[in-house]
Amino acid sequence: MKKGSLLFFAIIFAFIFALSACGSNKDENSSADNGGKASKKTLRVVTNAAYAPFESMDKGKIVGFDVDLIKAVAKEAGYNVKIENLGWDPMFAEIQGKNADLSVSAITINDDRKQTFDFSNPYFLSTNEILIPKDSNIASADDLKGKIVAVQNGTTGQDAVSAILGKNNKNLKKFEDNNLAIMELNKGGADAVVADNTVVEEYAKNNPDKNLKYIEDNKNFAPEYYGIMFPKGSKLKAEFNKALNTLLDNGTYAKIYKDYFGTEPDIDKLKAQAK
Amino acid sequence: MDIRFDIIQEYAPYFLKGTLLTIGLSIAGVLIGTVLGLLIGLGKLIRHKLLSLPFKIYITVFRGTPLFVQIFIVHFGIVPAVLGTTNGIATGIVALSLNSAAYVAEIFRGGIQSIDKGQMEAARSLGMTHSASMRHVILPQAFKRSIPPLCNEFIVLVKDSSLLAAVAVPEVMYWGKAMQGQYYRVWEPYLTAALIYLVLTLVLSGLLHLLERRLSTD
Repeated sequence: MKKGSLLFFAIIFAFIFALSACGSNKDENSSADNGGKASKKTLRVVTNAAYAPFESMDKGKIVGFDVDLIKAVAKEAGYNVKIENLGWDPMFAEIQGKNADLSVSAITINDDRKQTFDFSNPYFLSTNEILIPKDSNIASADDLKGKIVAVQNGTTGQDAVSAILGKNNKNLKKFEDNNLAIMELNKGGADAVVADNTVVEEYAKNNPDKNLKYIEDNKNFAPEYYGIMFPKGSKLKAEFNKALNTLLDNGTYAKIYKDYFGTEPDIDKLKAQAK
Repeated sequence: MDIRFDIIQEYAPYFLKGTLLTIGLSIAGVLIGTVLGLLIGLGKLIRHKLLSLPFKIYITVFRGTPLFVQIFIVHFGIVPAVLGTTNGIATGIVALSLNSAAYVAEIFRGGIQSIDKGQMEAARSLGMTHSASMRHVILPQAFKRSIPPLCNEFIVLVKDSSLLAAVAVPEVMYWGKAMQGQYYRVWEPYLTAALIYLVLTLVLSGLLHLLERRLSTD
């Protein structure tokens, strides 16, 4: 019996050591990843990496337009960044609790969010679009009435659909992320998905076998601007706005934009929104 | 910490609806899980190795994989394959019952095996068949012994039903997340949800305690 319990403890300790080793390894990796001078402060950036092409996981690494942009902006402002994938809802909680320095995750700037958070100047223009099967008879957002619509919980797509169907209507299904919402559509559990145009178009383009099409509706879905989100009263906001402006002017922004979307960005429109 | 009671009040009707669904799904999960679990537990006790194998595999698979993963497989795989479209309620019932059945099976097996061999021998010597002695002598005693671990399992099941929020089944946690998504506040929705689950599990353990007392022969 004694021998057995000794072995048991040995296994437990081995586990604890293995786990703690994992932890320290990770730290070393991330600091090595950031490289750079020790004097540069490393900011904790949180995101929801389930939103290609803005941010998604590529074999354990977070990649995407937002990732490249925030790295460039932070570099311009003189910071290192460590990006963590937290998920959409926890991300807001982390920023609200000031446990992270900033968040970049295709977050639309709106008045509700401004009550709790600070935002940078807009860095991206987007509109919501409706993703439907090719044989669907939905032609505009008004046709969504009486249909089952899947969205990502807490997004502006949800707000836009709520405005049409009524808030918390039972036909509005709220999912953890857009991938699940689109899967629900593919499996026949929903008639349409409403999400940002880039995500919808990227999905339809990458999955031609799913027979999906997307439609715009400028009447019901107003243009939206993405911003970098900070905790209320963050000092970083001014520094990042300045850095972002520099990148917009010197062509770095346009280069990253073209890498991901293949077209020229409408920089004047973005700058017109900045105040 | 400032709590905005006005938004809790606004979401109260949704939480109520969610609670009813959570209760419904849990009852279905408990009932179907118990019946299935009993059958699987008995199946695992079959002496013939080949005949008991499917039951052993069932328990290994459903106990050895996370319920969260099972929910996605059921929601996007099994339910659409059978019904043609996804259906959150069906997912909830199927995933919860299949998962709890694996645990209940082991609980019943333990209960049955804990009954003294002499009970079966005595029943058989009175001329009862094997299945009759199982039904009238062994199982009632085994069931009584299984109640405390079953109570544990059912409480876990009620709480685990919250995982269904991930596939938009409108139970308690779903509305908690919806509320969080609308107001970007964490305390109000999640404390409310926690309180609801606490009340549900308290009621459930109280009921099972009553049942235990009624079946007690001491």
